[in-house]
Amino acid sequence: MRPRPSTLAVWGVGLVLAYGLMSARTAPSPDRLWGDLPVLSGGRVKPLDSVARHSLLVLSGKQSVRMNGRPVGATAWLKEMVFQPDVADTYPVFEIDDPDVLGSIGMASGRQRRYRFLDLQPHLSELQTQSERAGAVRPQLRSRFQKALLRLWEQVLLYWRIQNTLRLTGPDSELPGVTGSVHEIEAYQTALNERGESTAARPVADMSSVLSAFQARYQTLADRAEFRVLPAGAPDRWASLGQGLLDGSDGSPLHPAIGFYARMGDACRSGDTAAFRQALFDYRDWLGEHVPGASAQGRREGLFNRYQAFYKSLVLYVIVCGLVFLSFLRWPAELRRTAYGILVLAFIVHTGGLVARMILQGRPPVTNLYSSAIFVGWGSVLLGVVVERMFKNGWGSLGSAAIGFLTQIIALHLAAQGDTMEMMRAVLDSNFWLATHVVTVTAGYSATFLSGVLGVVFILRGVFSKGLEEEAAQNLTRMVYGIVCFSAFFSFIGTVLGGIWADQSWGRFWGWDPKENGALMIVLWNALILHMGWDKQVGRRGLMNLAVFGNIITALSWFGVNMLGIGLHSYGFMDKASLWLIVFCLSQAAIIGLGALPARFWGSPGTVS
Amino acid sequence: MSSRSRSVSVPFYHRAWTFFGSLELTSVVLVLMMVLVLFGTLEQVHLGTWLAQKKYFSSWLIFYELENGGRLPVFPGGYTVGGLWLINLAVSHVARARWEWRRFGLLLTHGGLFLLVLGQGLTQMWAQESQMAIEEGHSARYSEDYRHVELVVIDTHLSTEDVVHAVPAALLKKGRPIQHASFPFKIIPKQFFQNSVLKSGSGATATMGVGARLNVLESPRVTSDDEMDTSSAVIELVGPEKSYGVWLVSTGLETPQTVVIDGTPYLLQLRPVRHYYPFSLHLKRFTHDRYPGTDIPKNFSSLLRLVDPETGDDRDVLIFMNNPLRYRGLTFYQASFGKGDKLSILQVVKNPVWVAPYLACVLVSLGLAWHFVLHLARFRRRAA
Repeated sequence: MRPRPSTLAVWGVGLVLAYGLMSARTAPSPDRLWGDLPVLSGGRVKPLDSVARHSLLVLSGKQSVRMNGRPVGATAWLKEMVFQPDVADTYPVFEIDDPDVLGSIGMASGRQRRYRFLDLQPHLSELQTQSERAGAVRPQLRSRFQKALLRLWEQVLLYWRIQNTLRLTGPDSELPGVTGSVHEIEAYQTALNERGESTAARPVADMSSVLSAFQARYQTLADRAEFRVLPAGAPDRWASLGQGLLDGSDGSPLHPAIGFYARMGDACRSGDTAAFRQALFDYRDWLGEHVPGASAQGRREGLFNRYQAFYKSLVLYVIVCGLVFLSFLRWPAELRRTAYGILVLAFIVHTGGLVARMILQGRPPVTNLYSSAIFVGWGSVLLGVVVERMFKNGWGSLGSAAIGFLTQIIALHLAAQGDTMEMMRAVLDSNFWLATHVVTVTAGYSATFLSGVLGVVFILRGVFSKGLEEEAAQNLTRMVYGIVCFSAFFSFIGTVLGGIWADQSWGRFWGWDPKENGALMIVLWNALILHMGWDKQVGRRGLMNLAVFGNIITALSWFGVNMLGIGLHSYGFMDKASLWLIVFCLSQAAIIGLGALPARFWGSPGTVS
Repeated sequence: MSSRSRSVSVPFYHRAWTFFGSLELTSVVLVLMMVLVLFGTLEQVHLGTWLAQKKYFSSWLIFYELENGGRLPVFPGGYTVGGLWLINLAVSHVARARWEWRRFGLLLTHGGLFLLVLGQGLTQMWAQESQMAIEEGHSARYSEDYRHVELVVIDTHLSTEDVVHAVPAALLKKGRPIQHASFPFKIIPKQFFQNSVLKSGSGATATMGVGARLNVLESPRVTSDDEMDTSSAVIELVGPEKSYGVWLVSTGLETPQTVVIDGTPYLLQLRPVRHYYPFSLHLKRFTHDRYPGTDIPKNFSSLLRLVDPETGDDRDVLIFMNNPLRYRGLTFYQASFGKGDKLSILQVVKNPVWVAPYLACVLVSLGLAWHFVLHLARFRRRAA
C-alpha cells in the first residue's frame, strides 16, 4: 500500500523539527559554551545567552545585530560588550524611532533606525538633563516625547551597566602600570598579602593607599554591575565581580571564577582564540564540579533559547492556514489532512516550549502578559485540534492556527520588553492561584477567541463565497455554541477564583478594578450569547455576530485595561500596542458590519436564514 | 385588535411576573451591566478607582453633573441593575420551577450566582475598610478610615483616660447646630470642604487658633488612589453665655488645637474616622525581602503579638501576602509599609458577608459538576 501524500508531508515536517532539536543540543562551539555560562540577573540564575538576548531586545528590538551586512549573534555581541566595549560601541544597537527624541540630540530621522553608542556619546549630558526633566513628570501625564526619551535614557544606562559588569570602561579601564585583568588581580592579591608588612622598598602607608585605590575601584565596579557572575549555592549569595574582589579584602581567598573571567577577558582583548577557548573550557569544568545546579540551569535555558520553539510553531501555524486556504481550491481532503497533521506538530512544538518554560521557571504556565499570549494561543489550538477531530472540515484547523499565529506575533512583540521569566512580585507569588485562577481565566480567553474567529470564518466565507454549504453552516453554529459554553465556564470559574484570591490578599472579593471588570465583561458577554441562543432571541447569523464581538471584548479586557495604566492589576503596561488594539477592534467591527448585511448581499444567502 | 384586547384582560401583576421572569429581561440586564462596567472602568482614569466605584457601582442612579450644579439621572447604577438582576434570577426560576434532576445542576448554579450578586451588593453597602499603621516595637488598638473624617472633641481633664467625642462629617456638612449633653458648648458648622488647600494669609474666616492665620480654598477631590483629601471645616463654638470663637479644623493640621472652657482644656481636631478595638496588636518585626540584585519585592510579612483581655488571647500572629489574619469579624491584610521598612500598614476589613462568595463558589461548582456529569452519562447511554 502506498502511503498518502499527506502522511509523507507530515512525517517530513516532523523529521525537520526533530533534527533542529538534535542540532541545538550537540556540537558545543566556544560561542555556545560562553552563552551557556550561568549568571544571576533580575533575581534569577540564567545563562549569559538570555542576558544577551533580553538586553539586545530591549536596546534594539531584535535578538541579533547587523554589522557590515552580516548578523552578529546576541552572545557574541555580549562578549564584545563586556570584554571589548570599544568594539561594541561601533555596533548599531540603539533603536530610536521617535523623531522628537532624535531632534533633541540633533539628528534627523532618516532611513537609519538603529544608532551606535558612538553616535549618542556626544549628547549624553543633554540626554541626562532631558531625562531628569521628564522623570519629574507623573508617569500618566508624560508626553510621547518624554516617554520615548526616558526609554532611551534607560537603554543607555542598561548599555553602560552591562559594559561595566566585568571591568570599568573609559579611562579607568586599566590601572597605571598594570596590563590586563590577570595581571591586575595578581597585583591586587600582592597588595592584599603584603598589607601591614613594610618592606624596604615600600612603607606601610604606601601599601594601604595602593589597597584603598583597588578597593575604591572595585566598589565602583560592584555598584555599576548589571548582573552577578560569581556563582554560589543560593541565589542571594551570588556576587558581582566587583563585590567578589572586595570580599577578598578580609583575607579570604578570591572566588575562583574571577580568575577564569580575567583569563577570558585578556584572551579576548589580545585576539587569542585558543586561550579564550581554554579558559572557557576550564571554567565550564569548574562549574560542572562546584555548582552543577546553576551550570545545568544555564545549559537548559540556553537550549531553550536556541531552539526557538515558539517561533517554529508560528511558522507552522502560517503553513496550516495556507494549506486550509489551498484546500478550498484544490485537493480538499488531502490538504485538510496535511493541515491537521501539521497543526498537531505545531501544537506539540508549542507545548514543548510551554512545558520547558514551566520547568525553567518552576511556575504554572501563565505568569505575565507574555506568557498569557503563549497560553491563549496554546489553549485555542488545543480546542481547535479537538474540534477538527470531531468535524474534520478544516474550520477548526484554520481558526485555531490563525489564533496561534496572532498570539505568537503578540508574544514576540511583548518579549521585546526584556526577560519574560522575571521574578514574581510578592502579591503574585502564589503558584496555587497562578495555576488555578490565571490559567482558567486565560483558557476562557482562548475559547472566546476561538468562537469569535469561527464566527469571522463563517461571515467571510458566507458573504464572499458561494461555498458555505448548509451542512458546514450548521456545523459551524454547533461548534461556536459549544465553544461559547466552554468559554463561559472557564471565564466564570476563573473570575470567581480571582475574586477569592483578591479576598485573600487585598481584603475584598471584588473591587471593580479594571482587570476584574475586563474579566467580568467576558463572563457577561458569554452568558448573554448562551441565553440569547438558548431562548432563540438570535438566529445563526446573530450568534456569529455576537461571537465576533466577543473578540473585541476579550482583546480589550486582555490588553485594553493594561493601557489604562490604573488599578492593582496593571503590571503589564505598554504603549505601542494601543494602535494595534484599535486596528483589531475596528476590523472585528467591520466584520460584524458584513455579518449584518441583508441576505441578498451574501454569496451563500441560504445559510443566513 | 385581538392581541390588544387580550393584553388588557391580563391582570397587571401577571404581566409584571412574566416581564420580570423573562429571558429578554436577562439579556437586557446583562447588556446594562456591561455598559455600566465599561463606563465605570473608563471613568477610573479620571476619577480614580474609589470615586468611580462609588459613582457607578455603589449607587442607585448615575447622575450627569450639569454646569449649573444640577444633576440629571442618566443611567441606572450598580444597585439598580444588580437588584433587577436578582429579581429576574429569582422570578425566572420560580416561574419555570419544575422538579427535574436534569435541571438541578443549573438551578444550583444560578442559586450560587444569586448569592454572589447579593453578597457583592451587601458588601458594598455594609463593608468597612480602614488601615492600621504600626511601627516596629509599638502597639495599636485602632484603625483609621482615610476616606471619611470626623470631628473629635477630646476631654482631657480626667487623669485616668481621655474622653473622646466624635462628630461624623455628615453632620458638619448639614450645617445644623450640634449639641450633646456632655459638651460644654454647641457646635455650629459654618463651612465644610471635602478637599481643600490651606494657605497662610489674611482674610481667614476663623477667629481663633491657628486657623485665624489661614485661608481655606476649595479644591477638587483627589483622584489618585494613594492620595487623600484634605478635608476642612469652619465651626463656631457657642457656650450658654458666650461664643468661644470661630475655629478652622482640617486634616491638613497635624496637631489638635486646644480650646479652654471655664479653665478646662478641650482638644479639637478633624481627623480620619477611627475604629477602636477591644484588643491590641503589637508589631514585633516587619520583614520585606527582595529578589537578589533587584528591587522586586519577594515577600512582606508582619510578626505581631495579639493581646485581647476579653478573650484572654495573648499570642503571636504572622500576616503576610495572601495570608491575612481573621479575628473577631475583622480581617487584617498586609497592605503597605514605610519608614525604611520599620512601619507596617495593615488593611482592616469588616465585612459581615465575606463568606458569601465562597459559598457561591461551592454552589456554582457543584451545580456545574452535576450538569456536566449528567450530560456525560446521557451521552454515554446514547453512545451505548
